[in-house]
Amino acid sequence: MLGRIADELARGVEAAGAAISEALLEPVVRLGVTGLARSGKTVFITSLVANLMDRGRMPQLAAAGPGGTIRSVWLQPQPDLTLPRFDYEGHLAALTGEAPRWPESTRSVSELRLSFRVQPAGLLAGLAGPRTVHLDIVDYPGEWLLDLGLLERDFAAWSAETLRRAEGRAHAAGFRALLASIDPAAPYEEGQARALARGWTEALAAARAAGLSDCTPGRFLLPGELAGSPVLTFAPLPAPAAPAPRGSLWREFARRFEGYKAGVVRPFFRDHFARIDRQIVLVDVLGAIHAGPGALEDLRRALADLLGAFRPGRNSWLTGLLAGRRVERILFAATKADHLHHRQHPRLTAIMEALVREAKDRADFRGALTAAMSIAALRATTEETVEHGGERLDVVRGTLLATGRPAALYAGELPEDPAALLSPARQGAERWLGRDYAIMHFAPARLTLRPGEGPPHIRLDRAAEFLFGDRLR
Amino acid sequence: MTDRAPPPPGLWPEADPPSAASGRAAGTARGPVVIELDSPAPSPAEAPPVPEAEAAPPPGGAAMQAALRLGARGPSALARLFWGAAAGLLALVLGLAVWDYATALLARSTLLGTAALLLLGLAALALLLLALREAAGFARLRRLDTLRAAAEAARAAGDLAAAQRVVARLVALYAGRAELRWGAARLRERQGELLDADALLALAETELLAPLDAAARAEVESAARQVAGATALLPLAFADVAVALAANLRMIRRIAEIYGGRAGALGSWRIARSVFAHILATGAVAVGDDLISSVAGGGLLSRVSRRFGEGVVNGALTARVGQAAMEVCRPLPFAALPRPRVTETLRRALAGLFER
Repeated sequence: MLGRIADELARGVEAAGAAISEALLEPVVRLGVTGLARSGKTVFITSLVANLMDRGRMPQLAAAGPGGTIRSVWLQPQPDLTLPRFDYEGHLAALTGEAPRWPESTRSVSELRLSFRVQPAGLLAGLAGPRTVHLDIVDYPGEWLLDLGLLERDFAAWSAETLRRAEGRAHAAGFRALLASIDPAAPYEEGQARALARGWTEALAAARAAGLSDCTPGRFLLPGELAGSPVLTFAPLPAPAAPAPRGSLWREFARRFEGYKAGVVRPFFRDHFARIDRQIVLVDVLGAIHAGPGALEDLRRALADLLGAFRPGRNSWLTGLLAGRRVERILFAATKADHLHHRQHPRLTAIMEALVREAKDRADFRGALTAAMSIAALRATTEETVEHGGERLDVVRGTLLATGRPAALYAGELPEDPAALLSPARQGAERWLGRDYAIMHFAPARLTLRPGEGPPHIRLDRAAEFLFGDRLR
Repeated sequence: MTDRAPPPPGLWPEADPPSAASGRAAGTARGPVVIELDSPAPSPAEAPPVPEAEAAPPPGGAAMQAALRLGARGPSALARLFWGAAAGLLALVLGLAVWDYATALLARSTLLGTAALLLLGLAALALLLLALREAAGFARLRRLDTLRAAAEAARAAGDLAAAQRVVARLVALYAGRAELRWGAARLRERQGELLDADALLALAETELLAPLDAAARAEVESAARQVAGATALLPLAFADVAVALAANLRMIRRIAEIYGGRAGALGSWRIARSVFAHILATGAVAVGDDLISSVAGGGLLSRVSRRFGEGVVNGALTARVGQAAMEVCRPLPFAALPRPRVTETLRRALAGLFER
């Protein structure tokens, strides 16, 4: 008993000490890297860290330039003792090795702390001496992120919405057949529950393979150590006509859904999102456009759900958790910009902006600083203009991921007005009218980096300047 | 379209409402018309905005503007004709006199005449060379001007290709400068990776122009120091004015040289004029920038010594002229690098007064 009290006390003192040190001595910038699965979070973090440690390629980060304020950068052990470290060295080796490849997709949370020694510039700089600024970055599976949208729904609303969306989709046919055979008001039985959960998991996996984004609950796809536990053994059900009796399948699944929210989603949000200062939202817009109007609309809806969870000042469970901390800057980044010639980057940025228009306006209105950019954290292509069929085409050249052969790609002309893509998507078009887009995936190029240079990128330095450049002055 | 609803009451307040038939007959009211077209309508998105009803323009100080226009207008055609004719006449007279003199000398003695003719030819040649040098100076200045205009246009439009052309011209302009070789090499290394016009221009500015800015600032500081010292120490009236004028003109010429706009006498005069025009356009003393004049001119320093306070104010003005000269001569506008501040420049200049 006494031991526990002393323990609590020690932890409290430690936390208070950390808070004071952060406020007075060593400011910490918590960079939230938000992105759905396969939007390139891991590559972004790896390339950002590598380019911050070797700042030769960061001319647009003012603090890193020749007259800049950064004196040195150190990759620290992370402050959170219970979290694994982001495997920076491993990912960098994968990207820059002899046979470069994209890193494995993330399967669990990991963290990293980068510490800057900064010599402030200005009138009193000589008096102040160098100080330390920490940059904390967290990596996590993008699949988990969609669960944030669940926090504001209950089981009935989630079931209805999910089933409605799954209605026309071929990959959910097996699950629908399964559903037709059961009665949600029937007494709960574990074998049936398992079969339903398995069926839903398969439907989710198929949806993800088809390029769709709304795959909730995300832990079904990446269960980790929770596999087989009751919080991961449920599925959306059609609402029963009469209130379901106690002990029925519906009541049990609703209970597990609440348990999933309380035990899985909320801790994830609280530990990693509630304390973020700066946020970058990575979106693979090109991939969604390639997958078709359905995927683009799906992406838009998923982003709206997701970014709604970050709304500060709203009267919900969030207010208590946030405790006054707000996201000051949000960068909406369309990733994989190296698949397009730079002439098309402004159009890609415009589409990105239109996709997140609602969230961006809301953040602007709340006083946050927002921007949209087209970036490539690791540039895998070079640009070229070739003659093709009698006209000049602005293409990008790289090595194809699938075949390993060099190729030049022209992905198709993006429209000047984003509505030309977003409106058909919203109206549920099957395919793009009069337009055609194809994205080939490129493998990372073999690099020979000179001393002092990080891996090549597109606008990573500008993104870094926007996100935390002001804290390094 | 013969059937029409009766017009609502009050539509024709002064006259009795015309019936459909009488209206058509009199041609005062036309019925609705729908014309079907074959060609598609132009997009409303590109149509010019509907013109607003003409409103009276807001009061804008018409008299003052007219006065300004009068002042800004060049000399009138008559005046130009007069001055042109007078100058031509003078040149004719002078040329004729010299020619007469030379031929007369030739008639008197072949040797002397030949010498005079030779000297005449030499003088003409030198004059021609001088004129060529002036023209080259003007061409260099024009190149700086067009570079800056092109850079501004590229930045405003976000046109990467235009920015790349500007940077290429800038590199060519400074190709012969040994002190910029390092920066030019770094620029060459990095410029392929930048895909934004403003980023590329910013990189060119930090790599190529930062050393030049430092050199120009040193010139400004030295001139400000000279002017301040002369004002404070020279006992003769008007001598300080002469020193200030000479120091300012030399500073302007040196700054132009640093940025690659080496000009002859006429060119320097031209730069000085545009510098002074720039100062007039941006506020003469830039009181908002610093309060030196009130502190030094009317405050502590002038209590210590009136001449010394005046020296500081003159130094501040010189620094301001130098800043304007930098802005006029710089091939890229200040964007990535901070604009030098008059207070800072003056502080360093006056600190240097005692160090040296």
